[in-house]
Amino acid sequence: MELIWKYITLADPNVRYVAWAILLLGGVSGAVGTFNFLRKKTLIGETVAHSMLPGVLIAFMLSGVKNPFVLITGAAISGWLSIQLVDYITNESKIKGDSALAIVLSSFFGFGIVLLSIIQNNYSGEQSGLDHYIFGNAAAMSPLDSQTFILVSIAVMIVVLLNFHNIKAVVFNKDYAASIGINIKRVDSLISFITILSISVGIKAVGIVMMSALLIIPPTAARFWTQRLTPMVLISGFFGALAGWLGAFVSYAETSMPTGPWTIVIVSIIAFVSMVFAPKRGVIYQRWTKLKLMRRINEENLLKAAVQCELKGLGKLFNRLSINTRQKFETRLWNRTIKRLRRKGLVRKVHTGFTLTADGRAYGAEIDRRHKIWEIYLQRRMQMNIHLVHDEAETMEHFLTPEIEAEILGELGLCSRFNPILEIHEIIPETA
Amino acid sequence: MDAFWIIVTGFLVASSTGMLGNLLLLRKMSMMGDALSHAVLPGIVVAYLISGSRASVPLFLGAIFMGVLTTFLIHFFSARGKMQGDAAMGTVFTFLFAVGVIMVTRYAGEADIDADCVLHGEIAFVPLQTSSFLGLGVPSPVWTLLILLALIQLIFWTGYKGWMITSFNQEYAQSIGIRTALWHYSLMAATSVATVVSFESVGAILVIAFLVVPAATAYLLTNNLKWMTVLILVQGLLSALIGYWISDLVQGSISGAMSVASFFQFVLAFLWSKKRGLKSPL
Repeated sequence: MELIWKYITLADPNVRYVAWAILLLGGVSGAVGTFNFLRKKTLIGETVAHSMLPGVLIAFMLSGVKNPFVLITGAAISGWLSIQLVDYITNESKIKGDSALAIVLSSFFGFGIVLLSIIQNNYSGEQSGLDHYIFGNAAAMSPLDSQTFILVSIAVMIVVLLNFHNIKAVVFNKDYAASIGINIKRVDSLISFITILSISVGIKAVGIVMMSALLIIPPTAARFWTQRLTPMVLISGFFGALAGWLGAFVSYAETSMPTGPWTIVIVSIIAFVSMVFAPKRGVIYQRWTKLKLMRRINEENLLKAAVQCELKGLGKLFNRLSINTRQKFETRLWNRTIKRLRRKGLVRKVHTGFTLTADGRAYGAEIDRRHKIWEIYLQRRMQMNIHLVHDEAETMEHFLTPEIEAEILGELGLCSRFNPILEIHEIIPETA
Repeated sequence: MDAFWIIVTGFLVASSTGMLGNLLLLRKMSMMGDALSHAVLPGIVVAYLISGSRASVPLFLGAIFMGVLTTFLIHFFSARGKMQGDAAMGTVFTFLFAVGVIMVTRYAGEADIDADCVLHGEIAFVPLQTSSFLGLGVPSPVWTLLILLALIQLIFWTGYKGWMITSFNQEYAQSIGIRTALWHYSLMAATSVATVVSFESVGAILVIAFLVVPAATAYLLTNNLKWMTVLILVQGLLSALIGYWISDLVQGSISGAMSVASFFQFVLAFLWSKKRGLKSPL
């Protein structure tokens, strides 16, 4: 408890930098990742991050010093080149985006590995720690790093805010954006710019894979919570920041634990939880709505079949066997459906079977009527074969709303209380 | 002789991964190699902890198991969890890699293990692992890769019709009663096995490169499957030769140089196809 308090109040100066830096990094990359995610270029971060290796090494070879700004500049330049190359390959050939990503990733990184081995053979020690610029070392973060992160966050925020509408248009519909006169190239470059900016500063702290994860996972999680861009950017940034903050706490509480991987594990857990529990788009909600729909369809089918039996003069009493002549019900399904209908007061049990209550009869008759109306509509308006309309109507009867029903009747020129006794294919005599 | 075995190893890896890369390219899953190279780490660590040794067979099995699990998870998240396909892949492999790194850190005190054990094999060491099978001085990785290549060829030519049809038009394949999930998983399992086996002998980066670059090069040059296969093999051989030559020239990493050499050929094919226009069968 004391530990948590000490962490939250940032009393320990060592933790202050790391916590702030990782929190900002998570927030910024979560927000930036959203744009790449929505453009279906989620894995671009992975390619850019790998492609920075040769840039860092060339910058070192040219300057001969391990000045962080020189190395970051080198990384940014080669990251920029990799994005340009990916775009060029996808635009100018039949190679698809993901293959272009893999091609650029493997060739740039391969080239980097060649350079690394050359450097290791030819330099005598001043190169040590160079790989930290690519493989990450959060523990070695200094006040300078967190200041850099603050600057980068502000820069990204300014870029995004100034161009938000253009970015939004391009992210959702490129062709539309072009048609209203937005310079797509410029917006693409802006998104690439902020992506490279956050990767090139973040890679030193958490390494290649963790950096690309910070661009991938927060938007994936945020997507389950919203359909709108602004909330998504904010939620994604929040998830990234939260995970960074908690990840830094884990490595603070247990000093041997690495910050970056814990951040990723935490943000992944957020994503999995979102996937399962999120309202509207989560797995549980979707399963539940599907189940409810299936139940409703079964209930409506049963009621409709019972009403049709009554119309045919088969009596008001029905059981599974008599319904099965019109609508097939397995025993278990029958029992469950009947149980729900009885609970809703639509069906009543009588001595040898079941009968419809007044409400149940009205409901069933309404479904039956919709079925017939849709059949007539299909036959007259869509010129559909009379023997095919029944199956279509079997589905649509569950989804017609009273408004659509009224509209159809109006269009067909029928009375609003139109209620035929027979289905359309039952009216037409079988042609032998 | 060392040079010969290194080039042979490179060529073998290129030909077995290239065949699968061909199918992955059509399925828009080329990043799978990269994903697998990261995702197998926890499998290796767990296998190490269970077996208590750095012997390659248990680590190998751990990695293969993890590779198959990864492909299952990716498919599960995108199909059941409704995640965007590339996001599902990104989430799964980075998560698994993070778990692996944490495990390595956690057991670092008791165990001498890191990702290098299996993932970052170095092709330069291939000639050193000579086994005297049949009295020939053939390095053991070459034997493993030969068996792998034979298996891949067998699987590819028995199953390519199913894979082709499910790659080109999933809905059509489903409608004529082909079990698309089965084909998907069998391809993914084959990819996992092939990549993990190759990782150990040549290192991750070369496998990632050979999984996509030769196939993409061939794809740019021809639309015919048989020609594509031939071109992939030629590309792989040239990559191994040129790559070895480059690395000898600059005294650098052989795996890196081979992937760069492979990329050069891709660039040439790219320029050629650009000049000829987009749709140009051989």
